Amino acid sequence: MTNDPLKALNKKLKDNWTQYLLAVISIAVFIAAWHLYAAYLHENDSGYQGYIPYPLDVAEALVDSFRYEDPNLGLTMFDHIAASLERILLGFVIAIVIAVPLGLLMGTFRKADAVGRPIVELIRPIPPLAWIPIFIVVLGMLWGPVAIVALGIFFPVLLNVMFGVRSVEPTLMDAAKTLGANRSQMFLKVVLPFTTPYLMTGVKVGLGIGWMCIVAAEMVGNYGGGVGYFIKDTADVGAFEYMYAGMIVIGLLGILTTGVAGLIEGRLSRWMGMK
Amino acid sequence: MERNVLYAIVVAAIVIVSSAAAVYVLTGDDEPKEKYPVYFVTMGVSSMKGALASGEIDGFIAWEPFGSEAILEDLGEPLIWSGEIMPNHPCCVVVASTDYLELDLGGGLTGASMTSRFVKAHIEATSWMVDALDDKDSANYTLLVELGVQFTGKSEAIVESALDHMKYGYEMDQTFMEGITNFTEMFIVGGAISEDKLAIGGYEDVDDFVDQYTNETFLDAESAVQPSDVILNPDDPVRIGFLKSDIHELAQWVAQNTTVGGGAKSLFETYGVNVVNASAVGGYASGPEEMDKFAAGEVDIGYLGCAPAIQKHLNAQVHTVIVAQANSEGSAIVVEADAGIESIDDLQNKTIAVPSTGTIQFVLLKRAVNDEGLELKLKT
Repeated sequence: MTNDPLKALNKKLKDNWTQYLLAVISIAVFIAAWHLYAAYLHENDSGYQGYIPYPLDVAEALVDSFRYEDPNLGLTMFDHIAASLERILLGFVIAIVIAVPLGLLMGTFRKADAVGRPIVELIRPIPPLAWIPIFIVVLGMLWGPVAIVALGIFFPVLLNVMFGVRSVEPTLMDAAKTLGANRSQMFLKVVLPFTTPYLMTGVKVGLGIGWMCIVAAEMVGNYGGGVGYFIKDTADVGAFEYMYAGMIVIGLLGILTTGVAGLIEGRLSRWMGMK
Repeated sequence: MERNVLYAIVVAAIVIVSSAAAVYVLTGDDEPKEKYPVYFVTMGVSSMKGALASGEIDGFIAWEPFGSEAILEDLGEPLIWSGEIMPNHPCCVVVASTDYLELDLGGGLTGASMTSRFVKAHIEATSWMVDALDDKDSANYTLLVELGVQFTGKSEAIVESALDHMKYGYEMDQTFMEGITNFTEMFIVGGAISEDKLAIGGYEDVDDFVDQYTNETFLDAESAVQPSDVILNPDDPVRIGFLKSDIHELAQWVAQNTTVGGGAKSLFETYGVNVVNASAVGGYASGPEEMDKFAAGEVDIGYLGCAPAIQKHLNAQVHTVIVAQANSEGSAIVVEADAGIESIDDLQNKTIAVPSTGTIQFVLLKRAVNDEGLELKLKT
């Protein structure tokens, strides 16, 4: 064990270099394979080559989608991203506001669990997408897609919070009790901090599912476009290089939002003294 | 002399500037009160009725019988039928996979020869429908309505109303060709198809594309096709595609029915053709989806709107060609009943649902709105 910080940094860089290199190689290989497959289909006039455009054409479409308005929709990719982010954010807030108190309640009290559990278990396996036609008509095209996203985020958050509450070590509770903590102190100082990392895991999983849902929700009916709408719209007219551009944007947005959630998680756990 | 020229120039300049100013001021004065855009949203045709009832939309444009359905259920009233927007505009077409046309089925049979027979049955079915529609007291009309009810799953009243607004026809005449040219140009101007896609598809220009993409061989060979005593392709059925409940595409349903010919055979069978529905769920939800199935090699011959047939062929090089027309017109803009919407101009600030931007219905709505000097925008 050396204490030289320079050496440690050097080592860290070296380790990371291999990781960066591997990441770059992995993406390069993926793109090369994609290009070769596209070339194979195009050279042979397969009849579905248009469905697998060249990576370069997709890159060009990606840039164009940000630069130019779609003549039919009058929107650029920026507008679509704003519309989707707004939906994700609203859905996220709704899901958190309902799932966290409910999860704490059901995790803490057996009776609450007995009441909530059957409904949760019944609805949880139903894919949020199955609700789309109903939500769109009942809640409308503004809140319908938001509700789909909220539903997608809701269950991972709820279950993780419940699990978090149940995982609080009894010795911690006993210790707090012996030290004279009352119920609310125990909740604030023991249960809540202990549950936070679980909550954040739920949030990260939920956001991923939220993005999966938004695409489908926007495909059915919505106001103001959205990246999911863009994907469906361009696929309908057969402009597949644009469809892939939309898919890439969704992927990047997903990484971005879970990244932000990860940062918040780190901050929170440090602030609550978990790390 | 020089002075006169100078005067002349000065006078001319004054006249030009002042008349330009007058024109500017006058047209400025004539500027009508501010125009608002017409908004659109996209949704499946089967959801439109519900969305209209819930007030989520102020109207929709859809193919029959969905317009008639909303009208007969007093949810909406017709604002304009598509024939009034673009008279005799092409709508659904019969499309063949060019891979199927090149297929050798053995025993002297080819995909092309089976397509000839298919088209012959399509012609007879279409003619039968046109005749039946001409005489509403005939038994054939009753049968046609019955087949319409079977195919669409809608009530007799809805089907009859829808049929009243249908123009069936198989020919690819001058009007049809002009309509296809018109649509293709609109797609290119509207950005649905980028111009370089013509070159990628090996077409010189729009006219060349329309010329090559419509293959009249099968219609022309019609008189040479004779009935067959036996089914010629028992093991290789023609896999046909069509849109679910789309009454525009009723001809294939008529041609599959055994009572239409009066005998025990359907029109397809009369010409020796064995057909099977390519979709496992009784038809596709949209034309773009059907084109995907063509690309996937799951459909040999299909009925669908000419818009997706053009767009996906050009944009994604799907191996297809138009071999006949199925119908013209037959769509309507339906608006909320008693909402005071009586003209396209009244659609300002209203929200109209379209099945998808890749459809004839979208193009028709855009056309109607633009002709009125209004802008069509996505609802935000």
